[in-house]
Amino acid sequence: MTHSDSRLLLGTTESVCPECLETVPAIRYAEGDTVYLEKTCPDHGPIATPIWRGLKSYLLWDKSPRHYAGVSKPATAVDKGCPQDCGLCGNHLQQSCCVLLEVTSRCNLSCPVCFASATHTGEDMPMATIEAWLDTLMDRAGGRVHIQLSGGEPTIRDDLPAIVALTRRKGFSFVQLNTNGLRLSHDPSYLAALVTAGLDCVFLQFDGVSDTVHQALRGARLRAVKERAIEACGLAGVGVVLVPTLVPGVNIDEIGAIVEFAKVHMPVVRAVHFQPISYIGRVPAPPRPETRFTLPEVMAALIAHEGGAISLSDFHPGSAENPFCSFSGRFQVAADGHLTADREPPVSCCGPPTPPLDPAPAPEDRTSCCSSAPKADRATVPSAAVARARRYVTDQWTRADTPEPVDPGLAAFDAILDRRARTLGLSAMVFQDAWTLDLDRLRQCHIHVMAPDQRAIPFCAYNLTNRQGETLHRRPAP
Amino acid sequence: MTTSTDPTPPNPEDLICAKCDTPLRIGKVLASYMGQTFPVDLPLCPTCGFVYVSEDLAEGRMLKVEQALEDK
Repeated sequence: MTHSDSRLLLGTTESVCPECLETVPAIRYAEGDTVYLEKTCPDHGPIATPIWRGLKSYLLWDKSPRHYAGVSKPATAVDKGCPQDCGLCGNHLQQSCCVLLEVTSRCNLSCPVCFASATHTGEDMPMATIEAWLDTLMDRAGGRVHIQLSGGEPTIRDDLPAIVALTRRKGFSFVQLNTNGLRLSHDPSYLAALVTAGLDCVFLQFDGVSDTVHQALRGARLRAVKERAIEACGLAGVGVVLVPTLVPGVNIDEIGAIVEFAKVHMPVVRAVHFQPISYIGRVPAPPRPETRFTLPEVMAALIAHEGGAISLSDFHPGSAENPFCSFSGRFQVAADGHLTADREPPVSCCGPPTPPLDPAPAPEDRTSCCSSAPKADRATVPSAAVARARRYVTDQWTRADTPEPVDPGLAAFDAILDRRARTLGLSAMVFQDAWTLDLDRLRQCHIHVMAPDQRAIPFCAYNLTNRQGETLHRRPAP
Repeated sequence: MTTSTDPTPPNPEDLICAKCDTPLRIGKVLASYMGQTFPVDLPLCPTCGFVYVSEDLAEGRMLKVEQALEDK
């Protein structure tokens, strides 16, 4: 390949060819304010893809320390190399933080955009397989792994409360539900059963505030459905994270309106977690540069919406994953909707275990983050970075209690709880596709999917599809 | 003993310090956890300084505050 003089080489890595998925060498370079990933397949030629529009933030994010933590119990051998050996293999550089269990491949929508290519037909995962997944994870990673129940649409299963209960019974401390909200919007007893079984968080597909956006991305008018689902979650006492898939030309101009919606629906809504579209699974068309929306563009849109009240310095890369996978920030929301960055210093997670508020007893299962979880042996103790990432999610994505003040003498306690309820998380994660895949990033992936054969596969490897829709790890939809 | 949702907590003078045999009274207490300090009013013994925390407070508001600080 040839280089123009205006290019700034930023690094070398490996990727895959978006046509044949063969592993190929790749470079990252900046041209103007945009960072590209470029690679050349011997059979299919060169291709360059914009991956980060904003050189200033790229250089800032690049300074972020990389936290590597080896897999204590590799499940697959290192053989063909990344991303072929996933399971996890001994060369993976990060432990599991959040693990997806796809409990069904059926869905009650048929979205034009779906990483899982789900349809109305499909199959439910047998309960025996789900139980085996949980046992495998407990053995390999311990009970502090966060579990996301995903699909397909998990709520299409009537026995989902039993799956939540099983997950809790096996010793997992955090369970979130990845859902379109359809069933939650009209079945309060089902939602109540999920919460009673131990559901911690509803990870709600929420692409915008207008039916035009829902129609474009989900093939249905869902604005009122989302409203009712959030109201139901409030009544049921479970926190909600709004999860917009951002697509240029469809809903970029609703980013500000989504944030305003979140503010109005706090404290039920605890955070907005944006996901710029990745070209995996079912998408309307292969990507073009103008159909990419990168993380710094999301941050710029948020900063512009808040009219300068927040800035780039209020956002940070993730602590466990590769820094170019995500950003997050926490903000106090005033009564008038004004945002102020939450600048409380992070609590060190690796200090000595902190005694409880004297003299109140501490429950046995709330040990310091770097001590063993119940039933966990030393091999399953999480790395500090993974523990921190899990702690952030537990705090910012679960229900916030706002007790009625009954005693002015305890106002100092209530102030802490009120502050938490007024804190809004704004974050984003961009998944990789066959055009943007950077194996340096993939090796640090801490979001994994359990395959039917008990392998834990990094999300971006599991869902990887080439231009023709062929997969590397995921079984093709029936 | 009271609950955190009980609007009529007992008179602290109904609580007697087992060590000093003195009625408790409401006083300023500094509770601290994970580097943060909370000035709160709780029943305490005016003689020995013993602080009384009801089970409901310990397992209610106090526990929620602990969890909020631990998860930061």
